[in-house]
Formats: sequence, structure tokens, C-alpha cells
Amino acid sequence: MSAKEFGDYIINVDGIGKTFTNGVVALKDFSTNIRRSEVVVLIGPSGSGKSTFLRCLNGLEEIDTGTITIDGIPLDDNKKNRLEIRKEVGMVFQHFNLFPHLTVLRNITLAQMLVRKRTKNDAQDEAMQLLKKVGISDKVDAFPSQLSGGQQQRVAIARALAMKPKVMMFDEATSALDPEMIGEVLEVMKDLAIEGMTMVVVTHEMGFAREVSDWVIFMEDGMKVEEGTADHFFTEPKMDRTKLFLSQIL
Amino acid sequence: MLNSTYRFVKRMHIFDISAYLFLMVGGLFLLIKGAEDQGYYWQWFRIPKYLYQIDEGRFIAGPILKGLKITLNLTWISLILTYIIGLVTALMRLSNSLLARGIARVYLEITRNTPLLVQIFFMYFVVAPILDIDRFFAGVLALSLFEGSYASEIYRSGIVAVNKGQWEASYTLGLSTYQNYRYIILPQAIRRILPPLTSQAVSLIKDSSLVSVIAIYEMTMQANEIASETFLVFEIFFTIAAIYLALTITLSQIVAYFEKRYRVVS
Ligand SMILES: Nc1ncnc2c1ncn2[C@@H]1O[C@H](COP(=O)(O)OP(=O)(O)OP(=O)(O)O)[C@@H](O)[C@H]1O
Ligand SMILES: [Mg+2]
Repeated sequence: MSAKEFGDYIINVDGIGKTFTNGVVALKDFSTNIRRSEVVVLIGPSGSGKSTFLRCLNGLEEIDTGTITIDGIPLDDNKKNRLEIRKEVGMVFQHFNLFPHLTVLRNITLAQMLVRKRTKNDAQDEAMQLLKKVGISDKVDAFPSQLSGGQQQRVAIARALAMKPKVMMFDEATSALDPEMIGEVLEVMKDLAIEGMTMVVVTHEMGFAREVSDWVIFMEDGMKVEEGTADHFFTEPKMDRTKLFLSQIL
Repeated sequence: MLNSTYRFVKRMHIFDISAYLFLMVGGLFLLIKGAEDQGYYWQWFRIPKYLYQIDEGRFIAGPILKGLKITLNLTWISLILTYIIGLVTALMRLSNSLLARGIARVYLEITRNTPLLVQIFFMYFVVAPILDIDRFFAGVLALSLFEGSYASEIYRSGIVAVNKGQWEASYTLGLSTYQNYRYIILPQAIRRILPPLTSQAVSLIKDSSLVSVIAIYEMTMQANEIASETFLVFEIFFTIAAIYLALTITLSQIVAYFEKRYRVVS
């Protein structure tokens, strides 16, 4: 993926730190800048702070120190700014978190209508297009519990995309899936990357990281240990810690 | 094997029911006998006129039925207020605002840790003159504030039982707190809380008899009056007990129906 064109920086993270109330330090002086259309993959052992980092980016967790700016909007105490960032940053969870009492269609149209103020018709058109794109247009009227894990995760991706976010975050989107369903979800994510979506991805799928990512960050104990292009990262890592981790996981 | 187990269980039921009936009939017999031995002279025939009278083909409700109507009015108005107070209190307890949580806390501590009877008197002698409300609404307010504190716990536990991922998903999609409750959390919580909320109506019917202390002529108050005038103590209180039972058993059946219908599958 070398011919890809990147834009200006859309995500600026400067020296953020996060300590949970129980005293666990999840992030320590973490900084990174991400450009438009860039696909950044975060890897690291369990408990290294990957999820916490994603959750800080959209304000699900509060940071203690440092600053986060998304598309020029600072993530601060201003409620309007926060709402703007929540709208611009889509998130896909490990356990899908679909709304179980709503149909697939309603899962995808609800926030469009409530938050983006689209008409019902527009929202439904958008939903149908997205469902087609993720390959499950025949399931509009099903409830989440009637779908396989892979289908549910694709609905969750469609639901996030319907908000027309500028950034998409994936937190181990395939970790809860049966092996035979991982491919279909990764395929959707790959298409998104090719279309130029800015993506921040936490994953254990090293094949995906290698093939799709533009930048890989390896973190441990809430800190960045090493970063670089996928090529650099998988063929000639510098740090011993990185080598050890890769040898364990590959 | 299964079949014989089934038959055994069924026989058990029959056994249970007959034992129950035997006890009830036996108990009733002893009671009547005991009263008679003390020289009590049963006069059931005098009861119907306290229920209703037919005057020239027109139905006229007697004091007991009039009392029943007030009991029912007390109950349904208090029930609606109970649901509203309970929901608002639950949301206040779960909110980020320190002030809202504080107010909810004080309200709950007071209503839970003082007797309902005292609350009714307080409402009638202290609050009612200030707010300029009549005794009926003083009673309604006392009952619904008391039951509301229990309802709030029902709502709260139903709300926090909704998976945390639901909050996170709707936060991420940009829903406001109100929209989140309205479209995501409460529709899921309602399945759990509908049966216990319906049971609150049963408590209300029973507790409503306590407002007779501020001279609201609901069913228990009427019964008291009649009994002291006529000395038909047993007949009158048996009668209203039967009416209370009929009401609460009907409601319990509705609860059971909801429980079955909205059984949470997860
Ligand atoms: N809500 C919380 N309260 C307290 N500690 C937390 C909380 N969430 C996470 N932590 C702790 O913060 C650290 C970082 O957790 P995080 O979930 O970000 O790790 P991760 O890299 O995503 O791990 P995994 O690969 O297991 O998902 C861990 O030690 C974790 O136990
Ligand atoms: Mg994680």
C-alpha cells in the first residue's frame, strides 16, 4: 500500500496519561499524530493500554494529562466539542454492542435520525446502502440475536459508518468471532481502508496489520515501545521487547 | 421414567391443594365455632345493605362500596405518582450531578427510615396546610412518596443491569443522555422491572388502608365506622378482607403474567 496519499494530520495526541481510580496506570506520556486516510494498527500484550487509548480518543475515558485534538477540535470540557468528536469518531467493539431490542435497520437508522437529524427515508436509504456494502442486505428486519457473530459485527460497522465519521476505531473487532467468520469482517475493514478511511485498529490479526496498515505502534505498560511502517515492523524490529512479542504471536 | 415423575409431581399438587383446602375450611370452622362459643351471634344477613341497596330498582352503593371506590382512587393516583417519583429518583441517583444525587439520597433515607404512619401524619398536619391541599391528596402524596422510594430501587437495579456496552455504543454514536435512556436503556430495562413495578400496586392497595388515620373515608375507615356502630365486627372485617384479597390476588395474577411474558432471556 505504498501509493497511498495521506492528507494533513487529523488526530493529534500529545503526552496523554491515564491512571484509573484503582491506581492502575494505563497510559503514560503517550503521543502520536495520525494523518487523514492513514491506517494505524496498535499491538501489544494484554493490559498494555490499547483499549484505553482508543477509549480516550473519543472521550469514553477521561485523560488526566496531555491533549487530544481531532480534526482541529480539542477534546476538552466543552460539551459541544465532545459531541462533535463523538459524531466524527466511529467505534466498533469486540462484543458488537448492537441494540438487542431493535431490528438491524433500526440499529442503523436510530442515531442518524436522532443525532444527524436525517429524515427517516434518507436514513433508511443510507442503511440499505451500507448493508449492501457489508454484504447482509437480506437481514434488515432481523434482530441482532438472530444473526451470527460475523453478521452482527458487520451490522455494527454499518451502524458506525452511517454517522459518516471521519475516523473509525476498531477494538479487537474480530476477537470474539469464530475463526470462520473473521475473514468476512476483516474484508469489510480492508475495503474501508482502501476507500481512504482514517482508521485506528487494535488487533491480534498480524496478517491484517501487515497487509493493510500504514503505521504500526507496539505498546507496553501504557507506553509506546516502537513504531514504524508495517514493513519495518515485521521484518526488522529494533527493540528486543518487540522481537520477543512478535516471536510469541506470529 | 419422565412420565412417572410427571405423574408423581401432579399427585403432589393434588395433595398440596387438598391439604390447603382442608386447613382453610378447618380454620374457618374453628373461628366461627370459637366466636359462637363466646356468645357471638352471626348476623351475615345485615351485611349486604352496607355494600349496596336497591331502592325502587335503582342501585345505591353502600358505605363499603363507596369506601372501595376511594381506596381504588387512592391506589391508582398514588401508583402513577409512585412510578414517576421512582423513575425520577432513580435517574437522579444515577446522574453525574452531586446535587441531584444528594437530594435523592436524603429523600430515600427519610422515607425508608420513618414509619409510613408518621409520614402520613406529617403530610396531613404539616405539609398539607402549607401546600393548601385536602386530606385526600395529602394521603396520595404520603403514599406515593413512600412507595416511590421502593420503586426507585426497582428502576435503578433494572437500569444498571443493562449491559455497559449499550451505554458505550450509544455514547459513541452521539446520543444525548435523554436519548440514550429513552431509546436504548429504558426499553431494555422495562422487561426486568415491569413485574416488580406491578407488585407495587399490591403494596399500595394494602398501605392505602393506613390513610384512614387522617379520616379519609376509604374502605378500612368505612369498615371501622360500621363496626363501631353495629358491633358486626367479624362480618364487616371478613367482608373487606375478602375484597382486599380479591383485588390483590387479581393484581398478582397480572404480575405473574408479565413475569412469564417478559421473562428475560440472555
Ligand atoms: N475501568 C477500569 N478500571 C480500572 N482499571 C482498568 C479499567 N480499564 C482498564 N484497566 C486497566 O488498565 C490497563 C490497560 O487496560 P486496557 O484494557 O487498555 O488494555 P489492553 O491493551 O486493551 O488489553 P487487552 O489486550 O487485554 O484488551 C490494564 O491493567 C487494565 O486492568
Ligand atoms: Mg483491550
